[in-house]
Parts: sequence; C-alpha cells; structure tokens
Amino acid sequence: MEIEVSQEKLSKALNNVSRIAVGKVTLPVLNNVLIRVDDGKVSLITTNLDMAIIDFLPVSESKNGVTTVPAKLLAEFVSNLPKGEKIKIKSEDTKITISAGKYTSVINGSPADDFPELPEINEKEAVVFKMGVDEFKTGVSEVAIASSNDLSRPALTGIYFNTYDKTLAIAATDGYRLAEKRLIKNVQSEISVIVPTSSMQEVLRSINDGMEEIEISFNNDLVRFRLGEIEIISKLIDASFPDYQRLIPKDNNIKLELGRDELIRITKLAALFARSVNGSIVCEAKKPNIFSIKSFANELGENDSVIETEVSEEGKVNLSSRFLIDALNSLDSKNIIFEFSNRISPVVLRNQKNTDYTHIIMPLQS
Amino acid sequence: MYNVWENVLAEIEQQISPANFSTWFKDTNLISTDGGHIIIGVKNSFYIKQLRTRFIDLITNSLTKNGVTINDIDFEVQQTTKSKVRPREVTAASDLIKTKVSFKKSQTDNNGLNSKYTLDTFVVGSNNDLAVSAAKSIIDAPGTRYNPFFLYGGPGLGKTHLVQAIGNELLKRNPEYKILYTPISHFYSDFIDAIQNGKGKEFNRKFEKLDCLIIDDFQFIVGKEKSQEEFFNIFNDLYQLNKQIIVTSDRLPSQIKSVDERLASRLTWAGAFDLQLPKFEDKCAILRAKAELMGAEIEPEAIEYIAENVNTNIRDLEGEFSTILLMSEVRGLTPLELINNGSANINKTTKLHPISSKQVVEKVAKYYQLSVAELKSKSRVSNIKTARQVAMFILSKELSMSTTKIATEVGVKDHSTVMHGISKIEKDLKLNFTLRDQVEAIKEKIYG
Repeated sequence: MEIEVSQEKLSKALNNVSRIAVGKVTLPVLNNVLIRVDDGKVSLITTNLDMAIIDFLPVSESKNGVTTVPAKLLAEFVSNLPKGEKIKIKSEDTKITISAGKYTSVINGSPADDFPELPEINEKEAVVFKMGVDEFKTGVSEVAIASSNDLSRPALTGIYFNTYDKTLAIAATDGYRLAEKRLIKNVQSEISVIVPTSSMQEVLRSINDGMEEIEISFNNDLVRFRLGEIEIISKLIDASFPDYQRLIPKDNNIKLELGRDELIRITKLAALFARSVNGSIVCEAKKPNIFSIKSFANELGENDSVIETEVSEEGKVNLSSRFLIDALNSLDSKNIIFEFSNRISPVVLRNQKNTDYTHIIMPLQS
Repeated sequence: MYNVWENVLAEIEQQISPANFSTWFKDTNLISTDGGHIIIGVKNSFYIKQLRTRFIDLITNSLTKNGVTINDIDFEVQQTTKSKVRPREVTAASDLIKTKVSFKKSQTDNNGLNSKYTLDTFVVGSNNDLAVSAAKSIIDAPGTRYNPFFLYGGPGLGKTHLVQAIGNELLKRNPEYKILYTPISHFYSDFIDAIQNGKGKEFNRKFEKLDCLIIDDFQFIVGKEKSQEEFFNIFNDLYQLNKQIIVTSDRLPSQIKSVDERLASRLTWAGAFDLQLPKFEDKCAILRAKAELMGAEIEPEAIEYIAENVNTNIRDLEGEFSTILLMSEVRGLTPLELINNGSANINKTTKLHPISSKQVVEKVAKYYQLSVAELKSKSRVSNIKTARQVAMFILSKELSMSTTKIATEVGVKDHSTVMHGISKIEKDLKLNFTLRDQVEAIKEKIYG
C-alpha cells in the first residue's frame, strides 16, 4: 500500500477518525486506523464496535493495499509535521514508513485481517432523509442537551428519531427535562428509532465548514450519516422511547413572554445563591406585570430579580437553574415563551415565533 | 439448548485469541435451534457482520460437533444479551408499577355535581366514620333523621367529596330527584345578580322545587347579610317540606362571625358531624385506595413514608402521592427508589408550623400526665421512661435536633442514651399500635 497526500488533508482526516479509536476495548486492533487503497480510492476507517467513522481521502498518488496503524500516534505525528509538506505513507508487511521531506518514521502496525469488517446499509431497504447541515447541527445540539448518561435506561441515552404528522422530529430526555425539534416537514417515510447520543456527537464533531447537505439512512439496526467525504455508521439502541408527546403539557395556563438574554442573566444571578440547594430557584408570576426569580442560600444571602412582562395568571414554580440555563441556551429568538401551571405540570419553553423547538423541564419539589 | 452454547463457546475459546474471543463472543447467546434454524443473539450489527464474515465456519463446526443440526444460521441484535439489571426489573412482576396517570375532564351537569365523587372512593376511617354512616342513612332516607346535615372540618379533609357523593348516590337511586350543589359563594353571587336584574322571584323559584340542596363552604357567608336572609328563607321553606338540606363549613355555625343565631341553631338541629385529620393507618388506606383507583402500584413502604410525612390534610396527601407517581413514571424508578435516593423529598411545607423543643417536652409530659420535672427526672418507672423516649423521638424526627441537644432537653446523661431511646421507639412503633396511636396523638396535639 502506498499513498501520497498533503499534510493538511491527511491531518484533518486522521484527527476526525482517531477520536473513537480509544483503547477501552479488549481488542487492540481497535486502537488502529485502517488505511485501505482500492484503485485510487483511499479510505481511513476506525471503529469502537458501536460505531465507525470512514473518511474518504483524496490523494494524488496511490498503490492498492491495506494496513492498520495506531490511530492516535499517526494522527499526532502527522499533525506535527510542517504544513504544506507532501506526505508519503508506505506499508511493507506490518511496518509502515511515513516520510515527509526530511522527516521519516517507521511505525509498527498490525495486519488488517484482525480489523473488523463494517456492517453495511442495505441501500434498497434503507429509509433516507436529506437535509441542510446547519439545521441538522443546530437541531441535534439543541436536543442532545436533554439526553441522559444513565446506562441503566438505554432508551434515554439516545436521540429518538420519529415521524408523526408527516414530520421528522428528534427528541431526547433524561427524565428531568425533554427537548424536541421538528427537523423536516413533509416527509414520506416513517421511522421510529433511537440513535446513541454519543454517535450523534461524533457526527456533529465531524461537521466542518463547506459541508452543505447531510444524508441519513436508516436500515434495520443501523444508521449511516453521509457528510461530504465522511461516513459515520452507528448501531441503533434497541429499546422503546417513552411516549414523549404525552409528557408535553397542552394546557399550561400561565403563559409569559420574556426576553431571553435578560432571563438568562437573572437565572445566572439566582443560580449563584442557589448552590447550596442544588440550584433550586423559584420562578414566580404576579399580576399585573411581574416575573421574578428568587433564590436564597442560608449562609450567603438571597437574590430576587424581576422582569416586567404581561401576567394574566399568577403562579410559581421551582426549577433547577442549571436546566433552565441549558434550555435558554438552546433557544435562539429574542423573546421566548415560558409556560407553566401548578407545580406538578412541567414548564414548557419555546421560541416566540418558531415553534419547531420545544423544551420542557420538570419542576422541583418546593 | 443453552448448555450447548456454553460448550460451543468453550470450544471456540480454544481456537482463537483471547482478545478476539472476549470481543466477539462474550455477549452472545443462542436464541433458537428449532428445525435446524439457528438464531444467535449478539450486541449490535457490527458483531453480526464480524461473526458472519470471519467466524461463521468456526461456529458451524462447533455447533455440529455438539450435535446440533444446522440448516442456516441467523443473527439477531439483542440489547439484553447480558442484561444490566435494571432497578425496575428486580421487583417481582406483581410489584411493578403501572403508573398511568391520566387527568380526565370531570363531568359536571347543571346540578353542580361532579360524578367523580362517589362513596366507593371515599375511604372510611376512624376520622370520619360517623359522618359517613350519617351520609349513608341520608341516602337511604333523605329528608328525615339527619336533616339538615351539617358537616364541618378543615380544608382538604373530604367535605366536598362526601356531600357530592351523597348527591350522586341520591341521583343514582332516583334520577328524577332534583338536586342542587352550590358553593355558598355562587349562591350569593347568583343572588346578587338576580336582585340586580329584578329576578329575585325566579331565584327563589329555582330552590323551591329542589328535593335536596347542598351548600358548600358555608363559612364564606360572613358579612353577606342579605344573602344570609335569603338563604334562611330558602332553608325554612325546604325544611318544612322535609327536603334534604346539606351544609358544609370549616367550623361550627356558632363560630362563624355574624351568622344569625336562629340560623346557626337550625343548621345544627340534627347534630353536626366533623371530619378529622386522618391517622397514620387511615392515611395509608387512603393512598392505597387512590393507587388502586389510578391503576398504579406502589410499594407499601413508599405509602408509609408519604403517610408519615404529610400531616396537613388529605388533599396534600393525594397531591404528594400524584407527584411521586408522575416522577416515578418519568424517571423510571419505583416510588420507593425515588424516596430513598432523596429526589422525592416530601414538600417541607406540609409539615406544620415549627414548634420549640420546650413545647414538645411539655406536650409529651402532659399527654402522659406527668410534670415536666418528672419527665426530666432520672426515674426508671416504665411510663416515665416511655414518655422520655417518645419526647426524644419526636425532638429528633420533627425538629431534627442533634442527639446531644436532645440529651440536655430531656435531662439524660449523654447522646448515646438518646440514640438508644430513639431507636427503641422506632422499633416499637412498628409492632406496638398503642404506642403508634400515642405518638400520632401527641403530634396532633403539638401541631394542632
């Protein structure tokens, strides 16, 4: 195997694929990146057996062959080489020689036979969605924040892709809050699958400037994301996601319109005084025009900030300041809608105009 | 069948590297061998691909060696190949929570009755049995013995529930029966409207034809002299026709300011029935009934915890209960787990207003008919000793005082005596019902 490629391109590709090649798994070859050349088509592949990243590398010269090299080592070596340098990688048995101008090094690789073969998407059966990369990135990051790390409930460690009313929506919840984003309208196919949040985060990290469209293909228990030169394949989580539509309250009677920046500011202020009570703050609406956030710490003192807004129903609710800030950071319009009712019903947050994004937070016990 | 797979694995382990074995085979299992159709369960599709391309011959050979007929081999993704034990799955199937908390719109006809209130769902306990038996005899024979039926008690103890249930039950037995349920506030606002629109007569007529009038929250009549007079007239008319009149209030009529004495005495002609705070057992019974009604199953320990910690009224009790069920559904933990991990702290405000340690000691002493000095003495007489330990227990549980402080408060040597006392009471409470009643009664006295 032999390739010749520019330092920038190789370094970028290696940095991208090497993230998941971490030595947690029992199989040492999973720390390696597989480099395969097949009639001028060069692919760099890593996998952790939950997902795989494939980067198709444009090269100037190549000779067919396949090998595997420790991914982190190769990535760091290449990134430290001077920019603009032409890099040559050549393998003989398991010895890989990397040379660039006056720098040469030899790395011990291992045979490609041990490297797992990747499962494939059945193109005929796959359900495919295409959308703009920017909307995808915003949508996923707004939703992923609500996802859980609790492995004992696998369904909550993923992002739920589902279709209803001809809309593709994604949702995540950790049991304390829930976020939903409607991604694509007027879709024909139906789907209901959970993609691991960790895989989604890798997809987001692989996005870089100049990418325009993302193609998402679902098939049995696999999903594939296609982003320009990059393909990410991930397993799906085989569990059932809670019927989350039922969790979104439809009849919260207290509806407030609040300036987002101001609300973030006073929530942060209140959070300072809420550290000893796990960030618990009290949001209160009072007629005719007061919305206040209160918090107090026995030893530090207390905080009470007010935003003026139209209030037609009074009430108060205890919330975690951290969850509220997370939610507000995921909203993006100047004014946001803050809805609540009694203390059992969750708080609903939305952008003022665009209702594609919904974030709900379970209130805390007062 | 599953043993076969153990054998197959043992054999494969001999033939490939440990790394390969533990990576690819550790979490597999054999799902089915029916009719030579082999199905092997694996973690995800990455494993399927690998086993199919690289290890299929090995698997086929080992299976054949172990006497399994093979027509074809299939793989299936199984998240649960090595199921992490989830908290919910530890409990036996019957203990599983089925929390379906649905909030149905209640139906109200123009008689003001809400059909969700029935006697079946009213939990009878020592705190309300008299009132309930009176209610039952009203249903059997309205307008006779318990007329007027005057029911009083604090907020959230079930007054509305009980009187609405009477109304619903009467209606069930005789659909032609004309019943009107109205909170007194509606009564007087309707009355004022009627007067303003010159329809005073019509207002009167509305009541004349009734077979049963139910007035809720009568205490709000305060300061509404005209309405009171009107009510008095209606009351007299209905009473003379032997129509059933039911009135609820949060206190006795004689204690409501500015209620005409004649009316006050008439309201309690047939006696006044009170609803009291439920005792611990009653609270548990209420929660169990509520759980059944909602189709939710909840551990007995969780019920006890809620019953023990909500001391205000039944409405709060049910409120906390619903909150915990909802949280348990959302978080996927059983109610008891929620309580144990501290995320379902019972609302602190449901504990009543704070009291001083001195008051506690005084009340306990008084309850056991001792002087404070006696309680604090070194006496080992059994009832004094129990009183002292109960005082320690309440100081620790209700005021969260440190054991050292409690020691000085009840006059014992040091904190270890206190700790012993508290744990003794804790232990006895589980078995000794008299003691439990005593502690409840003292708590009621302290907070009441």
